[in-house]
Amino acid sequence: MTSPAHHLSPPIPRWAYAVALVALMVTWLVLQENGIALGHAAESLHEFFHDGRHALGVPCH
Amino acid sequence: MTTYKGVLLRGIGAGGIAGLLAGLVGLVVVEVPIRAALAVEEARAAAEPAAESGHDHGELFGRGTQVVGGVLAAVIVGLAIGALFATAYAGARRWFVDRPPFTRSVTLAAAAFGAAALLPAVKYPANPPAVGNPDTVDYRTVLYLGVIAAGLLVVFGSSYLASRLTHLPAPIRSTVVALAAIAGVTVILLAFPAPPDAIPADMPSDVLWDFRLASLAETATLWLGLGVVFGLLIDPSVRKTTAKPQAALAA
Repeated sequence: MTSPAHHLSPPIPRWAYAVALVALMVTWLVLQENGIALGHAAESLHEFFHDGRHALGVPCH
Repeated sequence: MTTYKGVLLRGIGAGGIAGLLAGLVGLVVVEVPIRAALAVEEARAAAEPAAESGHDHGELFGRGTQVVGGVLAAVIVGLAIGALFATAYAGARRWFVDRPPFTRSVTLAAAAFGAAALLPAVKYPANPPAVGNPDTVDYRTVLYLGVIAAGLLVVFGSSYLASRLTHLPAPIRSTVVALAAIAGVTVILLAFPAPPDAIPADMPSDVLWDFRLASLAETATLWLGLGVVFGLLIDPSVRKTTAKPQAALAA
């Protein structure tokens, strides 16, 4: 099916998925990481971004 | 036409600006109820010095560092969300295809705000420090991310439905899609379980609701700021209008 929108959007290269994955991981580390990936170091991350996590509405301890 | 790389860089730039604006809203607005909530926490700790209060805030970092961390969190999340938003925008081949890029950007950001911030804020309202049981944080995180995923599914489904109903007159199509979206959101709000934690009795309700509204102001600044700035950067007509006065002068 030819959509009228195709001229609107550039083709998305494969590396775009890698970028999206990195962006999701960064968001996870800042807002969600509580020990799954970093173990004990996550506590420092959690405490440093603590105000940001609360302020952005993320569930926190 | 802009390449994907160009779209991505505009998304990251717009996300950084929106994240900084959201961080400033956090600094000026959200920090006020956070300070009030931390005072409640301190009073609680002072009343029962022997009791284990779960988390000791400000032991690892001072309050000043945590305030900076709060702004930095918004900026970093803004950059990351900007990259994701740009990819979604580049991949959105059904989203308001007959509208100018600025309108497409702002409406897409508004929909993302609805699904990723407003919907969880209604179902699982944000809580300040001193609220929330550490034992239920994993369960609450699953519920929170689940409601966001379900909300994004409603956005995607509505867009898909609209693209399948192009044979209908526009007003009827809009009504059908709006009703379907409302039905989807209603099902989500009813199907997901209630938040598991009770609000502690020593948390004043005005602090709680000041915080919840302030938090919503920060997420709204992030998402709508992203949509507006990205729209300004992506819409070619913005660049044309700046060229026009020069052309008029030359003529």
